[in-house]
Amino acid sequence: MAEKARRRESRRRARTGQPLLEWIAAAIGLLLTLAVLGALGWESVKGSGARPPAIEASIGAITPTPAGYVVEVELRNRSSATAAAVEVEGELTKADGTVATSTTTVDYVPGDSTRKAGLFFQDDPRRHRVDVRALGFAEP
Amino acid sequence: MASQAANEHSNRRYAVGLARAFGGAIIFGLPNLMTMEMWFLGFYLDRPRLLLFLIVNFGILVGLSRFSGFEETASFKEDLLDALAAYGVGVIASAAVLSICGILTPDMSTSEIMGKIAVQSVPTSFGAMIARKQMGGTEDQEEQDVAERRAGYAWQLFLMVAGALFLAFNLAPTEEMILIGFKMTPRHSIALVLASIVILHAFVYGVGFAGQEQAPEGSGFWRLFVFYTIAGYGVALLVSVYVLWTFGRMEGADLGQIVSMTAVLAFPAAVGAAIARLVV
Repeated sequence: MAEKARRRESRRRARTGQPLLEWIAAAIGLLLTLAVLGALGWESVKGSGARPPAIEASIGAITPTPAGYVVEVELRNRSSATAAAVEVEGELTKADGTVATSTTTVDYVPGDSTRKAGLFFQDDPRRHRVDVRALGFAEP
Repeated sequence: MASQAANEHSNRRYAVGLARAFGGAIIFGLPNLMTMEMWFLGFYLDRPRLLLFLIVNFGILVGLSRFSGFEETASFKEDLLDALAAYGVGVIASAAVLSICGILTPDMSTSEIMGKIAVQSVPTSFGAMIARKQMGGTEDQEEQDVAERRAGYAWQLFLMVAGALFLAFNLAPTEEMILIGFKMTPRHSIALVLASIVILHAFVYGVGFAGQEQAPEGSGFWRLFVFYTIAGYGVALLVSVYVLWTFGRMEGADLGQIVSMTAVLAFPAAVGAAIARLVV
């Protein structure tokens, strides 16, 4: 019985073509395929060029915690090339000239993207001068 | 009325096929979806190479549709529709899993999001395509046509390429591939090459013919060995080189390193080539 039904089904398919749902699924698939290929193709054409990663570090929120003050650092990559193992340094300069340094490493800052990191300081950064900068990176 | 009922029936069948495709996409995609290196590759992989790889992958999907796919196919048009649907399922499944796991977030750049999804769409669409066979496909008339198509030698080679590509793609992104290359001495490499060939031949000879295809008439050991095993290992080597190139693993590596990395990757690729004929 089942065998017969399948035969009929397969003959019917040959006559009427694909079920509607198949066209819908294929259309969505085509849309997604073109979207992915288009986005990547556009990036290929645009190219990352020979421009190396360019990472800007800026200070975000400062939060007091029992472990000290956390200075949030936002890293923005202005190039489309990805940077790996990005070293970040923050310097807190007190009025008497003494300097406290904290560092951290961020695994990846992808091209045209931002990543966040945090630095600890013992003194309140809001009452002293704090500078943050990216020290260097490795190619992925 | 009758034709309407039949339409509903075939739509329902197709919906079940789609659901299976999602299942297959998740099963085959998970090892990659939950691998850190694969996320990172999404944003730093060379774009033209990734694009080329996606096109190759699409060709493989169309070819696989001939053999299995989640719908029986009778024509090239259907294969194309099947491949598109499978790729769509792969993209949606990848995006969904990556989002749930917090790997994709709205504040990421389009390039990063697209790249991450594009990399994952390769294994997930492969899984979507072969899901039907894996998850309760039925034997019928068209299945026999499929079986006949399998018999051709060119198709056998194609299947080996598909299997090798899938397994190589799964393993090539990890740091371990390079690390293993460093740890192995040339003697290890030679042993690995020989082991790959022996395993491939064991699959071709021992398992490959069980309920799959008849051993070619009058085929002796050597015939089988040369046309399937050695040819299959050649496929595994070529696929490994291509995948390593796609992932940028060859940059700055000297010839010795490239050869040892290729030998390492050709091991899983050979296994993939061998089992593709059973799985698909």
